[in-house]
Amino acid sequence: MILFTLAAEFFKIGFFSFGGGYATIPFLYHLSEIYSWYTLEELTQMIAIAAITPGPVGINVATYAGLQAHGIIGSLVATIFEVIPSFVLVIIISKILKEYRTNFYVKSIIETLKPISCALLLFVFIGLLKSNLHDYEGLLLLAVLVLISLKSKKDPIFYMIIAGTAGIILPLFS
Amino acid sequence: MSLLELFLTFVKIGAILLGGGYVILPILQNEFVDKKNIITQDELVNYFALSQSLPGIVAANISMFIGYKLQGKTGAIIALSGIIFVPFWSIVILATVLNNIINVPIVQNFMWGIEIAVMTLILLTTREMWQQADKNAFFYIIFILSLAALLILKLSPIQVILCISVVGILIKIISRRFNK
Repeated sequence: MILFTLAAEFFKIGFFSFGGGYATIPFLYHLSEIYSWYTLEELTQMIAIAAITPGPVGINVATYAGLQAHGIIGSLVATIFEVIPSFVLVIIISKILKEYRTNFYVKSIIETLKPISCALLLFVFIGLLKSNLHDYEGLLLLAVLVLISLKSKKDPIFYMIIAGTAGIILPLFS
Repeated sequence: MSLLELFLTFVKIGAILLGGGYVILPILQNEFVDKKNIITQDELVNYFALSQSLPGIVAANISMFIGYKLQGKTGAIIALSGIIFVPFWSIVILATVLNNIINVPIVQNFMWGIEIAVMTLILLTTREMWQQADKNAFFYIIFILSLAALLILKLSPIQVILCISVVGILIKIISRRFNK
């Protein structure tokens, strides 16, 4: 039964997520609230591992979520069902390439999805901020990382090494 | 290009694909346009734009377009299986290791920092999407409506997409009528 739910949820994610690797995260965040597959804390671990593993983040995090929900079979089901919607669309659209991109309704949907995706991700950030940060060290570290990012663009792994090391060192002084 | 060759090429691409899906464009360019010469530059750019305008994962979408172009439906499936092959097993192994050591205190402290790094990444991605978008009145209206639907009405992401898309398309249709 859990495999059916998993397949249905990831099929929906594959169909509704739009705009790059992190676009699936709002949906996974929502799943952590309605199922007991993984906690919100585990979700951040999943994102971290997905970001530093080779391959598309959106696929990696689905693999991980499936694994947490129902082992290897779960990760296969989640991964496969997440890509089925776009597989079908790629097959259809390969045949009507030109008409698709210039279609008024397609353009309107894409233009609408951009601000929605921004809002969805910002909502995840607000949610994580509320549930994760009860200490001022955490807020301070977040501020430092954001400041570094304003100076220059860095690889995801850079932030993880800095923040993970800070997590190990900070308790030594308190 | 045989199916086996197609599969192995995408296995290789999946293994070296680090730092998000967008890195895939230069890699594909190198493999299929420059080295093998079986996809033209124009086709590749077109596939990339299409992949971004489709739901799902951009890197998976563009791999399927190339696979489909070269070997039809089977090609699309083979390309996709190839690109997720190394990532899939890496995740399974890393997750299993992490689940076994997560209760060690030093790992816990490390993960405390990782959570904050992930929050930073999410914020940065939001900022990147924000910067790349055309910020006209339409953008702000839809953005604020979506945020309100999430925070105040507590709708799920799918509900937000369904409801707000309808609003967005209606606005587009109405403004097209006015412009005529």
